Amino acid sequence: MRGTATVVAGRTARRALRSGVVWGLLFGGLAANEALSYTHNFPTLESRTELARTIGTNAGLAAVTGVGHRLDTIEGFVAWRVFGLLVIVGAIWGLLTATRLLRGEEDAGRWELLLAGRTTRRTATGQALVGLGAGFAALWAVTSIALVVAGTRSSVGFTLGASWFYATALVAGAAIFLAVGAVTSQLGTNRRHANGLGAAVLAGSLVVRAVADSADGLGWLRWLSPLGWVENLRPLTGSAPWALVPIAVLVGACVVATLALAERRDVGAGALARPQVPTSGTRLLDSPLGLVVRLERWVLVAWAVGLGALAAVFGVVARTAGTADIGNGSLNETVTRLGGQAGGSAAWLGYEFLYIAPLVAFAAAGQIAAMRHEEAGGHLDNLLARPVSRTQWAAGRLGFGVVLVAATGLACALGGWLGTIGGSNAIPLGRMLQAGANTAAPAVAVLGIGALLYGLVPRIATPVLYAVILWSFVVEVVGSSLTTNRWVLDSSLLSHLTPVPAAPLRWSAVAWLVGLGLLAAAAGVAALARRDVAGE
Amino acid sequence: MVAAIRTQQLSKRFGATVALQPLDLEVAAGEVVGYLGPNGAGKTTTIRCLLGLARASGGRAELFGVDAQRRPAEAHRRVAYVPGEANLWPGLTGTEALHLLGRVQGQVDERYRDELVERFRFDPSKRVRAYSKGNRQKVLLIAALSSRADLLILDEPTTGLDPLMEQEFREAVADARRRGQAVFLSSHILSEVEALSDRVAIIRAGELVEIGTLAEMRHLSALSVDATFDDVPPDLRRVPGVTAVEVTGNHVRCQVVGSVEPLLGVLAASGVHQLLSREPSLEELFIAHYGDGGPAGAGDGDGHGDGAGAS
Repeated sequence: MRGTATVVAGRTARRALRSGVVWGLLFGGLAANEALSYTHNFPTLESRTELARTIGTNAGLAAVTGVGHRLDTIEGFVAWRVFGLLVIVGAIWGLLTATRLLRGEEDAGRWELLLAGRTTRRTATGQALVGLGAGFAALWAVTSIALVVAGTRSSVGFTLGASWFYATALVAGAAIFLAVGAVTSQLGTNRRHANGLGAAVLAGSLVVRAVADSADGLGWLRWLSPLGWVENLRPLTGSAPWALVPIAVLVGACVVATLALAERRDVGAGALARPQVPTSGTRLLDSPLGLVVRLERWVLVAWAVGLGALAAVFGVVARTAGTADIGNGSLNETVTRLGGQAGGSAAWLGYEFLYIAPLVAFAAAGQIAAMRHEEAGGHLDNLLARPVSRTQWAAGRLGFGVVLVAATGLACALGGWLGTIGGSNAIPLGRMLQAGANTAAPAVAVLGIGALLYGLVPRIATPVLYAVILWSFVVEVVGSSLTTNRWVLDSSLLSHLTPVPAAPLRWSAVAWLVGLGLLAAAAGVAALARRDVAGE
Repeated sequence: MVAAIRTQQLSKRFGATVALQPLDLEVAAGEVVGYLGPNGAGKTTTIRCLLGLARASGGRAELFGVDAQRRPAEAHRRVAYVPGEANLWPGLTGTEALHLLGRVQGQVDERYRDELVERFRFDPSKRVRAYSKGNRQKVLLIAALSSRADLLILDEPTTGLDPLMEQEFREAVADARRRGQAVFLSSHILSEVEALSDRVAIIRAGELVEIGTLAEMRHLSALSVDATFDDVPPDLRRVPGVTAVEVTGNHVRCQVVGSVEPLLGVLAASGVHQLLSREPSLEELFIAHYGDGGPAGAGDGDGHGDGAGAS
């Protein structure tokens, strides 16, 4: 019995450790890099005071990144620069890791084998939590080592304790949401449901923390948000270790709740059962296209609303930053390199939208993954064994993908536009709609390339497609500083874009990307018609 | 009249593996043909090639005269298919799945569908993800049967059904046959094929080894004889046509190929107390093809149990 139980702990720990080390390197590396390059980037007292003056008074930035303290010192700068973002990234990592290793394993049916033996669900869950704890310890340890090593450099000069507490604060969000994910894994009916519940907690914490940080006199609200507790730790600038207490209490309560819930529910079901009989709605279910709309409509809404909201936040940041005209060298450098006009809200937004384009492309790649999933799961057989041609099915799927991309691009355009309204240099709606088209065009190319990969090599289509997007993004952001080879630079789907709204839309690039997408899609559909329809 | 299914040298290979040797097969309109073979023999591969889901490596497959490899959607107009694995969209309810499959099929006898829902005691109000394997199978069976398609292609359709539901299934297939629908029924359950089929095709390791009516197939096999004697049994091994003699005390079991006359002569002369003879079941035919008398093949474990229960 003990033997089987430790199998769960071992399996979970192995996978969590691997992930923890990788993310620890990323966390530690990014934070250490900020510390090590500080004296180079801000060599003079004036540059530091100027930085503190502009950033310290920007409510829009504070909502996103958290409030900065003593920004004219290396401690203040390092604690502010990547902290807010990494805490959120850590929280997402924690949530996804917990639900993957607890609920994902269970949904895949791997737990049933173990639980059919003498291992109880409580024991197995407890062991899996131990494994997750090991993963978290790895994240913490690697981040700590990176920061302690960086802290000893003479240019940085943090004490050992300060570096270590900063590392602890950086990974606190991960600890909280590992625990939250463990609870939602018990509550939800499947992993997706568990992720949704956890994401709701995360979004709530984020909104409360953002309001507390951006409005005067509402700072007390931070105590209502787990992410606010993390910010209250104030690493490097005013260490408050007692703020760890609510975090530790929450994590402990989540562990107890997880074990209690694991014992009480059935394998494969959620503690939040959905007892009510689902209502059947057959309105859309008259054709393969209607089925796609039925299956993917909420995915479309989620992407459009999510990225639209992100664009709105970027818009708010661009408005405040652009109005104050904060000099940000590297930002303006990137924008001008890509053919845009430096300065003002438009430069900020043009720069931020460079990050939205690959996200829209990810939304498109998700539709290709859904096509493969429908085939691999055997669902597609039920359509293709009836009078439905492969071309008809694929055209419906890809057509929906185009609508999703267009809707998401439009939502980003409107979100960005709404965010900048009221600033001294607001951006016209027409220009923002062009920015939306600019983010959608590479996603159309991704849909087409994805369809081609899916037609030719269905089993590896999705991972290759994600690699294409990552490659495109990396080449766009850092490519020109590493190489001048046109072939390498042109291989990025994103590097052909101009930073709209900081520059006019390059219609020829849009036409090329859409044309490439259509051609590749046609070839992909033709290839699909000539191969076996096959499961896993 | 055009055949419901006609294949000419239809073959399939996956890389170097030959999954289906060149196959010539014809199922007439209105005919019920059982397609029998152990797991992995190539039954599903044949059906996927017939439907155009898998691309044939060679040969042709026609459904009602339409090339199913080149024009699958058109070829499927008069065909309904039930796969062996009941995979449906987990987020749909039973009602929604039946509606969708009916609309995509293009023809539904709604009265008959409702009747089948009753007969299979199927509750369509739940989501597919909450259904057992047997219930998911019912969705696909009801969808296919209620289409009243001219040809039903059924790939091990009763997997996961309990015996009572299996009986309902047999009645529904018998009903389809009476209405003049053709049925191509793949199975490794011998009693099922025996009860429903006009003709039986046997496939082994990707190769069609036998096809014929049940009567023709029986002719190929032996008669099974059990005899109990008053005294020590005579030596039957020398009797022409007699094989597989097993002696247990006063009891003898043997198989007879061809005429039984020589055996009857010997038995009559040696004080036989009790005599039992029976037609071989499909199970025994099956063993004759696959095992040279002994059980063989991964799939006939199921066949034994079901075959014995119903014969």
